[in-house]
Amino acid sequence: MKVAWFHNLPVTARVHLLVAALMVTLGLVASQGGLAVLGTVQDARLREAARLHVEGLSVALGPFVLRQDLWEVYDLLSRARAATEGNRLLLTVVADAEGRVMAATDPRRAPVDAAIAPFLTKSMEPRAVRMTGDPVLLVVAPVVFQGRKVGQIVTELDVTDLLAERRQVTLWLLLGNAAATMTLAFAGWLAVSRLLHPLGLMVAAMAGRDGVPKPIPVTDIPVGDPGVMRLLATYNAMTTAAHARAEAERRLAERERFVSLGRLSSSLAHEINNPLGGLMNATDTILRFPDRADVVRQSAELVQRGLAHMRDVSRAILDQNRLDRAGQPLRPEDFDDLRLLFEPEASWRGLTLHWRIDAPAAVMVRLPATPVRQVVLNLLLDAAAAARDPGLVALQVTEDAQVLAIAVQDSGPGLGPDDLARLMEAGPVPQGGGVGLRLVHDLVASLHGTLHHDRVDGLTVITVALPVGGGDA
Amino acid sequence: MLRMNVEPDRPLAVTRRRFVQLSVGLAANATRVGAAANFRFALTPVFLDNDAAVIAALRTALEQGMGEGFDLIQRRTYQEITGALLDGSVDAAWTCGYPFVQHRQALTVLAVPTWRGRPRYQSYLIVGADDPAQGLADLSGATHAFSDPDSNSGFLVTASDLARMGTTPEQFFARNLFTFGHRNVVRAVADGLVRSGSVDGYVWETLTEMEPALSARTRVIARSEWLGFPPFVARTDRVVEPGVMACRGALLGLSSTTAGRAALDLLRLDGVAASEPGLYDGITARIAALRQIPAALR
Repeated sequence: MKVAWFHNLPVTARVHLLVAALMVTLGLVASQGGLAVLGTVQDARLREAARLHVEGLSVALGPFVLRQDLWEVYDLLSRARAATEGNRLLLTVVADAEGRVMAATDPRRAPVDAAIAPFLTKSMEPRAVRMTGDPVLLVVAPVVFQGRKVGQIVTELDVTDLLAERRQVTLWLLLGNAAATMTLAFAGWLAVSRLLHPLGLMVAAMAGRDGVPKPIPVTDIPVGDPGVMRLLATYNAMTTAAHARAEAERRLAERERFVSLGRLSSSLAHEINNPLGGLMNATDTILRFPDRADVVRQSAELVQRGLAHMRDVSRAILDQNRLDRAGQPLRPEDFDDLRLLFEPEASWRGLTLHWRIDAPAAVMVRLPATPVRQVVLNLLLDAAAAARDPGLVALQVTEDAQVLAIAVQDSGPGLGPDDLARLMEAGPVPQGGGVGLRLVHDLVASLHGTLHHDRVDGLTVITVALPVGGGDA
Repeated sequence: MLRMNVEPDRPLAVTRRRFVQLSVGLAANATRVGAAANFRFALTPVFLDNDAAVIAALRTALEQGMGEGFDLIQRRTYQEITGALLDGSVDAAWTCGYPFVQHRQALTVLAVPTWRGRPRYQSYLIVGADDPAQGLADLSGATHAFSDPDSNSGFLVTASDLARMGTTPEQFFARNLFTFGHRNVVRAVADGLVRSGSVDGYVWETLTEMEPALSARTRVIARSEWLGFPPFVARTDRVVEPGVMACRGALLGLSSTTAGRAALDLLRLDGVAASEPGLYDGITARIAALRQIPAALR
């Protein structure tokens, strides 16, 4: 969980970070190794110095300690100290077998007859001497004379210089290794960048303009690694295929307008054909009674009404198909047109149609007419197909809080899972079926709207909510 | 020789050590006696530190004065010197007034150095420069350094003072030790190894001149009366021998020769004079005081 941020990084950045981390680890391990060797060498030096000092003194002091000759012990320590002036030996204390101080190089720190015990805490034997981090180390050894332990000798070793040396070496090691690590990390970064260049190309191409993957130009594909070349070629083939598919879907959606009209062609043909009988009768009447002015006027009015209806129907069909209407604002008349187109279909199918347009024109004009008409017509056609005779189809357009709500209801059995997927989801279109519902989904999405599906009292309700504040209009 | 080693006022341990040292010293000396017929003159570092320049100057001056071969023989303790004198291993010696008085029957003073105008000196009781003690009585329970058990200024004066107080060094001090050198006493006190020390006043004053940094770390809290300076002595039964007489003449004439003057300058001495009556009465009185101490306290 803690490294979630790491997993969220681009793979190129992650590889760089991993390489840098490995280099730093390598540097630390190398530094640690160097320090360990230095520590071993320093400990060996200390042990040798301590051993020579205390063992040498122990041999010389033996008879004096045995005889309790304080002055000779002190004199020997003083001369030994004078001979090693400037050395690391800070203090040497000699005690008798009872643990009482006989003499020390600094008698004020270790007075005659004082207990040696305080000097024994934290003391080490010469062979066990090692750096502990303390600037002063205590070494203790027995004073042996003629095979008998006659006293003890304790020496304080000043290791300040060794600690300083260790600090200095640590500093230089860290600086040196940091520089080496940075150099290696930079070299690693360059190498990894080169290795990851094709991947970077692909990542950039995948996140191309508008988030649509685009193919990598052939001139940009690095020549050399056959695996990488094959990878990029495969990617290019896939993006081309995806592009072709998107184009096909776009064309299919374009054709959907004609498809929906095609679905209306039968009822519209009846709508035009039905008045034709009346019109023919009226023209026969005019021809038969040309002298009867009242009959001619009555028949002419009948012909006029019939032709007006046919004119309205044909205009609605034309409007639905005219591409030059793209960009026109939505008006209440668009819903009248839709009713004109759809009512014959509902009538032909024996359906009851409820039509209620409650949204003000001032709200509608903030939406484009063409996609809204296509959405409503597609939903109405699917509703009509679902609602069996005798059935019900209803359209209700309302406005509330800057949202135009278009609800289409039908008394059909409801949408199947595949149809719901087409309507509500953006994933791949399920096999089979038309693309009408998917077109509704895409058009609503392009208008920043939302779709809701519900079943209420045996009715299927599909509601399209279109924001009128920030739409494309 | 054995008689000397079994002195009643010396602890057994000291006696045993001195016996070993004496035996070794005499053995070495015997070899030398057999190898040369030079006049043998003994010195001890108790009084004179091992200063090569001083010893060389003294040897040159005496050799010139005597007009014959001259050996300077150095021993660690006065007891070794005394033993060598008494058994004839050496012909003459520069020793302390205390062993001379102890063996007055057998020894005769050939001459006495004069220091600051007279053949006398004092014993100093010293403590560390920052020690609050004002006198011997303040040092009860202290650690104390003597120079030599046969030294007047480095032992007898303090021991007899304590005897007059009804006590002994062993009882009065928590611990006392012998350094076998007056300079060592000053070192032991200056370095803090011991709290106090009994030292030859002449040596302390000379150190003040030669090594002021050392003596400055000590403070004199008591001075004895003026006592007879350490004399040049020979066995009484040999003072008429030509060599011994020549030695006496060379000693008395030191201040009149260039080499003798140089040696005396190095020693910070004025000259060498004949002994005077009663010069060592002070030491005799102190020995008597020491012997007054009840045997139970010794």
